[in-house]
Amino acid sequence: MTPLDHIRNFSIIAHIDHGKSTLADRILERTGTVAARDMKEQLLDKMELERERGITIKSQAVRISYTAADGQTYQLNLIDTPGHVDFTYEVSRSLAACEGAVLLVDATQGVEAQTVANAYLAIDNDLEIIPVLNKIDLPASNVPEAELELHELTGATHDEILAVSAKTGEGVDDVLEAVVTRTPPPTGDPAAPPRALIFDSEYDQYRGVIAYVRVVDGRFSRRQLVRLMSTGQDAEIEELGFFHPSMTPADHLETGEVGYIITGVKDVAQVRVGDTITDKKRPAGEALPGYKVVQPMVFTGLFPTEGDKFEELRDALEKLKLNDAALLYEPESSVALGFGFRCGFLGLLHMDIVRERLEREYGLELITTMPSVEYHAYRTNGEMTVVRNPSQMPDATHIERIEEPYVSASILVPSEFVGTIMELCQGRRADFVDMKYLSPERVEMHYKLPLAEIVLDFFDQLKTRTRGYASLDYDYSGYRASDLVKLDILLAGEPVDALSLIIPREKAHLRGKALVTKLRQKIPRQLFEVPVQAAIGNKVVARETVKAVRKDVTAKCYGGDISRKRKLLEKQKEGKKRMKQLGVVEVPQEAFLAVLELEPGDKDR
Amino acid sequence: MNAGRDEAAPKAAAAAWAPAPFEGPVRHIYVHVPFCRARCDYCDFASEAVGAGGRAGAEVARRLDAYVDGVVAEWERERAAHDVRRLHTLYLGGGTPSLLGPERLERLLELFRPHLTPHAEVTVETNPEDVDESYAAWAAAAAPGPAPGVRRGVRVSLGVQSFSAALRAVLGRTARADPVEAFGRLRAAGVASLGLDLIHGIPGQTPELLGADIATVLDLRPDRVSWYELDVIEGTALAARLAAAGGDPSAMPADPMDDVRAAGYRRIVRGLSRAGYDWYEVSNFALPGRKARHNVAVWRARPYLGLGPAAVSTVGATRRTNAAGTAAWAAALAAGEAPPRVEEALDAATRARERLFLAARCGERVPLAEVAAVIDQTAARTFAQAGLVSLHSGTIRVTRKGRHVADQLCVRLFRDQRLRE
Repeated sequence: MTPLDHIRNFSIIAHIDHGKSTLADRILERTGTVAARDMKEQLLDKMELERERGITIKSQAVRISYTAADGQTYQLNLIDTPGHVDFTYEVSRSLAACEGAVLLVDATQGVEAQTVANAYLAIDNDLEIIPVLNKIDLPASNVPEAELELHELTGATHDEILAVSAKTGEGVDDVLEAVVTRTPPPTGDPAAPPRALIFDSEYDQYRGVIAYVRVVDGRFSRRQLVRLMSTGQDAEIEELGFFHPSMTPADHLETGEVGYIITGVKDVAQVRVGDTITDKKRPAGEALPGYKVVQPMVFTGLFPTEGDKFEELRDALEKLKLNDAALLYEPESSVALGFGFRCGFLGLLHMDIVRERLEREYGLELITTMPSVEYHAYRTNGEMTVVRNPSQMPDATHIERIEEPYVSASILVPSEFVGTIMELCQGRRADFVDMKYLSPERVEMHYKLPLAEIVLDFFDQLKTRTRGYASLDYDYSGYRASDLVKLDILLAGEPVDALSLIIPREKAHLRGKALVTKLRQKIPRQLFEVPVQAAIGNKVVARETVKAVRKDVTAKCYGGDISRKRKLLEKQKEGKKRMKQLGVVEVPQEAFLAVLELEPGDKDR
Repeated sequence: MNAGRDEAAPKAAAAAWAPAPFEGPVRHIYVHVPFCRARCDYCDFASEAVGAGGRAGAEVARRLDAYVDGVVAEWERERAAHDVRRLHTLYLGGGTPSLLGPERLERLLELFRPHLTPHAEVTVETNPEDVDESYAAWAAAAAPGPAPGVRRGVRVSLGVQSFSAALRAVLGRTARADPVEAFGRLRAAGVASLGLDLIHGIPGQTPELLGADIATVLDLRPDRVSWYELDVIEGTALAARLAAAGGDPSAMPADPMDDVRAAGYRRIVRGLSRAGYDWYEVSNFALPGRKARHNVAVWRARPYLGLGPAAVSTVGATRRTNAAGTAAWAAALAAGEAPPRVEEALDAATRARERLFLAARCGERVPLAEVAAVIDQTAARTFAQAGLVSLHSGTIRVTRKGRHVADQLCVRLFRDQRLRE
């Protein structure tokens, strides 16, 4: 048993691609936690997708035994966290399980939006911040500039800021020493009723939910009867232990330690991130602070391109949901796209990950409808309707007002791009809050803007217009009323549900025009003229016409031609399977895709 | 003049008697004549160029004779194998049947004469360059008449393609014979039923040139007109030449789906219809009572036998296609064997689909009962609203409007099911 003052719990926080996983790899290597022959890059990122995209989606925790310069051996628990804004809540819980954080900054890039966001998260959780500059081996690194920015952000002095190269290993030992000397040991009462914070969970098909925990008070043992404080779920601990880096069973988890607990619970929704585990017979009086149920913010319809794959999609979502409590899905049917699901995600990255996993791990081909946010439509009678799909929007005549979610966004850019950002934000209904200079070359700008704009294309535009230099972080800041309308697309007078969208009134006309033009181009000529219209309620705001085929008949068909001719028609019929029949109109799947994936540039111009 | 009765009687009979597609006794014969003087650049039909005689004349004559012997042998075999009744129609197509000359044609006709009904329709596809005085005279008196000992003329289908020599040259037709002259010679000889075969959509065929062709046709006033749109088929000399011409758009035919070609086609349909021609099939027009009964029978899915290399027969649930090579075909028959051929079994659904699309091309009314199993009733109702089909007393008919898009229409009308099982 390690005494409390010989335990250090810390995490590494950084903007994406600043070298977090590489530093973790190096630490594991130098402390002998992983034998050199077992070493591979991004060791803590187990998922194929994580490794491929160089991102962390799931938290990991690994116990490291480190003998410091003072000759003492310490138990270090390194908690690897996801870095993306979509998973801010998970990050905040992981940080709550630590006393210190290594704030890693790429010296070639400087402080970025997520550096700032993560630093504030760490400060909110009272963590000791150890600022570290990475990639100092690269010729492009600018240590003095990055150091200035870090100082501005954390108040750290020159002596407190470490400089390392995670790649070559230079300076990594200093980081380990700083973790031991500067991170406070955990505080907690070993004699109090036990409490452990769940900072992540994982589903294993044989063992059920594996909860990643930090013991705050008391101790947990095998066979102990425990209770999950928010859900009231009781369970027996079947196994507990720590990661080294693979799961290593132990008899107890003591105060201050980080590890895992497996109970028989099969449902991740019962073992939620942020919840507190306590003893069933001697429960703690109070749960650990900060628990909340995360709500999906971005919604989209997922439809299999082949109608008969609906069951497969449902099974796949069910399996993903086992490991992803934040994923929401409910069946949805669309005249245009058939049967599918309306899915809710924490953000765009989360959506991307789920979609990619469905396609890659489950071999599904999917059509994704335009992502949307959750609108609140207040009726004239005072009732509020939650609108996650444009089709749920009540009739315009019954609506008093519509509210949409806003975010507080923080944008970090080189100062030369300030004008660019202002211009972009103006076109995206963003309200300027303030800006401050992190250094003469670097500015942090704050805006409040509708989440819908971010979901649409804000980030892409930001990156494009600043040649990739801008970084963005945002936090939800509640609902605000906006002048929004539901824009419907009609084919031959019939609305196409999958193409309806909710947009600001002033953009409805242009957007409607762009949509009907694109559709007209993508829908092949039909056997009769088909009007393509964009309408708000009964008012048509844009119209195009798909012309009728003037001639489609082969000239010759005599006795010798009949078979060939018939086979040709039959083949064409087979080809029609990729066509969606919308009333009297036949629309190729590509037309939907083209409209759904309308280039950002096409949308508003 | 007896051609007025060309089709009246069988038409009434066909309407009254509508058995399953291609079922019943055989009353229609097609004979494929696989020879041409020179191969036309656009043609992918089974045909061998035999030149204009000359040095190799004796060799050519032997091949033509061997071919006629083959037809004789195949006819005897097929007649024994099928329920062949008195023939309503006999059609000599090709290739260039007129190239056989009156003597060999007469030999062929002698073979069939005993089996033809008194009102049988006999058609010989003819190229203008073969039409000399003796040919015209033969054609005017080759078919059996309504009474024993009385002869009447065969129907002649004259392969003109275009009255513009320049456009004929684009198609690779270099024979200098003037089609108008050939037409006049046939008419003067007393050939009572004359049809013209034409092509539109030829590279370089301007609206003016098409207008000139239409005017000439109306001027000559043939009994029938077959006016096809040029189809550039891969592997033909024309396709190769167009590919070589590459980027030059003036050398290219317009896209078949293009409005320009659609406009040309509409112009033909309108022009001939106004002049009193009945548009009785996608590419076929006839003065009242002068439809090609042979083709109409095939389009009504009546059983027919094809003789000669590459000829196709459809009788009941079987479609047979002879291999294209003339030598192998003739050799097998000379040895008393069946010529090489492939068979295709046609199940009920397939035949129903064929019945539907053939009728669609002719605007013929089909009892829904015949095609109910293969038709999408919802689509049919939709198209009825759009005026593309007419649904009436348990029948379906593709309207004139619908005929312009008959292919696409049939694809949509076919029920969504696994087509090949």
